[in-house]
Amino acid sequence: MPTYLARRIGQSLLTVFLTLTTVFLLVRLAPGDPASAYAAPSATSADLARIREQFGLDEPLFVQYGYFVRDLFTGDLGTSYSFHSPALDVVLDRMPYTITLAVSAIAVTTLVAVPLGVWMARRADTRRELGTNVLTIAGQSMPDFWTGVMLLTVFAVLVPVLPASGFTSWSGLVLPTVTVAVLQLALISRLVRREMSTALASSYVTVARSRGVSESALTWRYALANSSVPLVTALGTRFAALLNGVVVVEVVFGWPGVGSLVVRALETRDYPLIQATVLVTATLAILVQLLVDLAYPLLDPRVRLGKAA
Amino acid sequence: MAEDTPLLDVADLQVELITGQGVVRAVDGVTFTVRRGETVTLIGESGSGKSTTAMGVLRLLPEGLAVLSGSVRIAGRDVVADPDAARAVRGRTVSLIPQDPMTALSPVHTIGRQLGDALRLRHPELTRTEARDKGVELLGRVRISEPETRWKAYPHQFSGGMLQRILIATALAAEPELLVADEPTSALDATVQASVLDLLMELQEHTGIGMLMITHDLGVARLVSDRIHVMKDGRFVESGSAEEIVERPAEPYTRELLAAVPRLGAWDEDEDEDSYGDGDGRIGPLVQGATS
Amino acid sequence: MSTAVDTRRPSAVTARDLARATATRQRRGARFKLWAGGACTALVVLPVALAGLLPLPGANAQDLSRRRLPPLSEGHLFGTDQLGRDLLSRVLHGGQVSLTVGVLAVLVSGLIGIAAGSAAGFFGGWVDALVSRFLEAQLALPLLMMLLLVVALFGPSVTVITCVIAVAQWPEVARLTRSLVLVEREKPYVAAARVLGLRSWSVLVRHVIPNVVRPASLVVLLLLAQAVLLESALSFLGAGPQRPFATWGRIISDGQDYITTSWWLVTLPGLVIVVLVVGVNLLGDGLRDRTRTGSRARLRKGA
Repeated sequence: MPTYLARRIGQSLLTVFLTLTTVFLLVRLAPGDPASAYAAPSATSADLARIREQFGLDEPLFVQYGYFVRDLFTGDLGTSYSFHSPALDVVLDRMPYTITLAVSAIAVTTLVAVPLGVWMARRADTRRELGTNVLTIAGQSMPDFWTGVMLLTVFAVLVPVLPASGFTSWSGLVLPTVTVAVLQLALISRLVRREMSTALASSYVTVARSRGVSESALTWRYALANSSVPLVTALGTRFAALLNGVVVVEVVFGWPGVGSLVVRALETRDYPLIQATVLVTATLAILVQLLVDLAYPLLDPRVRLGKAA
Repeated sequence: MAEDTPLLDVADLQVELITGQGVVRAVDGVTFTVRRGETVTLIGESGSGKSTTAMGVLRLLPEGLAVLSGSVRIAGRDVVADPDAARAVRGRTVSLIPQDPMTALSPVHTIGRQLGDALRLRHPELTRTEARDKGVELLGRVRISEPETRWKAYPHQFSGGMLQRILIATALAAEPELLVADEPTSALDATVQASVLDLLMELQEHTGIGMLMITHDLGVARLVSDRIHVMKDGRFVESGSAEEIVERPAEPYTRELLAAVPRLGAWDEDEDEDSYGDGDGRIGPLVQGATS
Repeated sequence: MSTAVDTRRPSAVTARDLARATATRQRRGARFKLWAGGACTALVVLPVALAGLLPLPGANAQDLSRRRLPPLSEGHLFGTDQLGRDLLSRVLHGGQVSLTVGVLAVLVSGLIGIAAGSAAGFFGGWVDALVSRFLEAQLALPLLMMLLLVVALFGPSVTVITCVIAVAQWPEVARLTRSLVLVEREKPYVAAARVLGLRSWSVLVRHVIPNVVRPASLVVLLLLAQAVLLESALSFLGAGPQRPFATWGRIISDGQDYITTSWWLVTLPGLVIVVLVVGVNLLGDGLRDRTRTGSRARLRKGA
């Protein structure tokens, strides 16, 4: 166990560094003057010269990398010139909104997809199978921006039940959550159905059935318990992915999270901000994924307690 | 139920499997009975239909796969005609001992939980503690050492032989009148097989339960059976008492089957190598962490 | 097991049993998916591929006298947008770019993925370690954000976007190929080939990879759907290819402002995406079901 822990943490650290390095290299390898990337569009040549000196852009690459890493450790991710404040602060300010959206989407997904997946797995009749296939495939196939715009139009404009954008009240969370949840629901309910079907077809369920265990106990106690480990890890992984992936939905609904922040930063060519956003969100997602992977042994007694001879 | 009513009365059982390749007749009309205190064995090679018969008798074959016809009376109730009857007798009148002990228990529940649930299914009035006490006693009966500690262990922490004994205990929790043993020793080491079979026979002596044994191993059949049915391609090729089949096989197929058993030289079976006292015949420690 | 019907004993299998059997249902399910998937995909791909030959107005041809006409107006099946451009033509021509990007990206990621995955699986050791580390690292990276960053830095050309999507997708192909190759490696024919004196490279390229390509390409089909969705998300955010034609995402984002008055500007292009992605997903699913039922039937347990 301890070796697994150490190895997994080491892996995550490596990935974080890889992300940092990739971002660092990308900005410097892009066509054009890196200095202009870090400068405001209205910079003069004097400004550019100053920035070149500040970032050490004339120095060899690995020296620049050194400055880069050093700055990271001191929490200095540059200054956003569109916000006129440290980039890190801007990102951390908006991070809670993205996290809220991701959490609520995962919560909704869990509450709906698990019973749905179990229902889909239980009895196999043609109508049920057709219906569920159609639903899940449709859910996977709708682009989130399109779903978002459609939902927005119907529920915020045509039938103004919910707010169109921003975070004026908690009801503003509803539409973005539903939009994000559509895809996650499709994926997770398919996973639950798959795992449940495997579990229900397995030997221990048949043997339990021979002991007179009722069908509902077989489903909800035996099969579901055995599906819970892959389910929880999948939910965790999806949550990590959502932290980075809700960009489009945030833009559609004007949700003040890091996704819409990054898009705005791209429009204004605010590279310090872009860099900071990517780094923070990536690190957070990697961290979440690490926690999910570390939780796995805790959930599965076979891994936790080690295998017998 | 009258004394002479057989525990299991199978008449013209036919099991057809609907596969992607067409309809396959796995069991083509078999008739046999199992009475109190007797052990009836179905012996045959793989693919002969013997396991399908056993699972079919208990109606444990997947519904979308198997079509049953004929009649199977367990304690007088026809389970082919009435699927509810099958649900009623499972875990009460009849129990299954499965083939592969390593996959026969839920990996994420402790064995105590599963055994306790089986006990409380049979006697819903038992409390958790009472069920645990009875369960520990059952584990002792199947010669699991330190049952109180083992109660909280998970299936993967046991060896195949111990798991099979736990499964026998779980089967007994139902206080059945009939045991269906589907190749109970095929997945076990040779040294462990004998102890499991010993256990089964001892239990039968004490409780008088009837047993339907499925095996491909003639040695096993010879050891435990009162009556033997030789099965091939879904049908009985020959039937008779154990001595008749083994000593005076009538059919050429039976003789081939007998001849296929390798002849071993003299073997000293007196040494009990079970120095850990857990009744398993193993010499070394079995379970990491669940120390004796 | 006897497969010949015993004429003395009639079969008890009714037509209803056959219809409800798992095997039948799976086969029917797979067949339906293939047909439905094929139909949906063709419904989108064919008109897009033939866009240049169809009697449609130019995609960028503006006609300010015929702005925001609803669908089924004369000469405009999908209606027109706020600049009088024929929506169907925009969708089909934009679709050409979208599909090109998607197909190219998938081909590139497929090639890289199969190469890297099979090398990792076959040779093991440091090759495997290296590839696996790359795989894990990349799977953990924030996909959409990195894509946006790259496009912002390198410009929204078709080349850049294709490369970026390909780079995003190769890990999945590689991971699958690697596990397939790990299984193949243990098969007797590999050992036999080695004994016959074939060098490792030869064995890998001439024998193992051909066996692995078919199951690996199933994933590629599903990745095409993902690539189309990615590309449209990018272009919705303004990071998609601008020339020669605006792609689907951009068309939708352009139409957002007019959603209440001209709903078709957003709904119809979106539906086209949905139909295509549904079709590709169904095809992929159906193919996977077909191979699965095939091999499961062959693994019938002995009784």
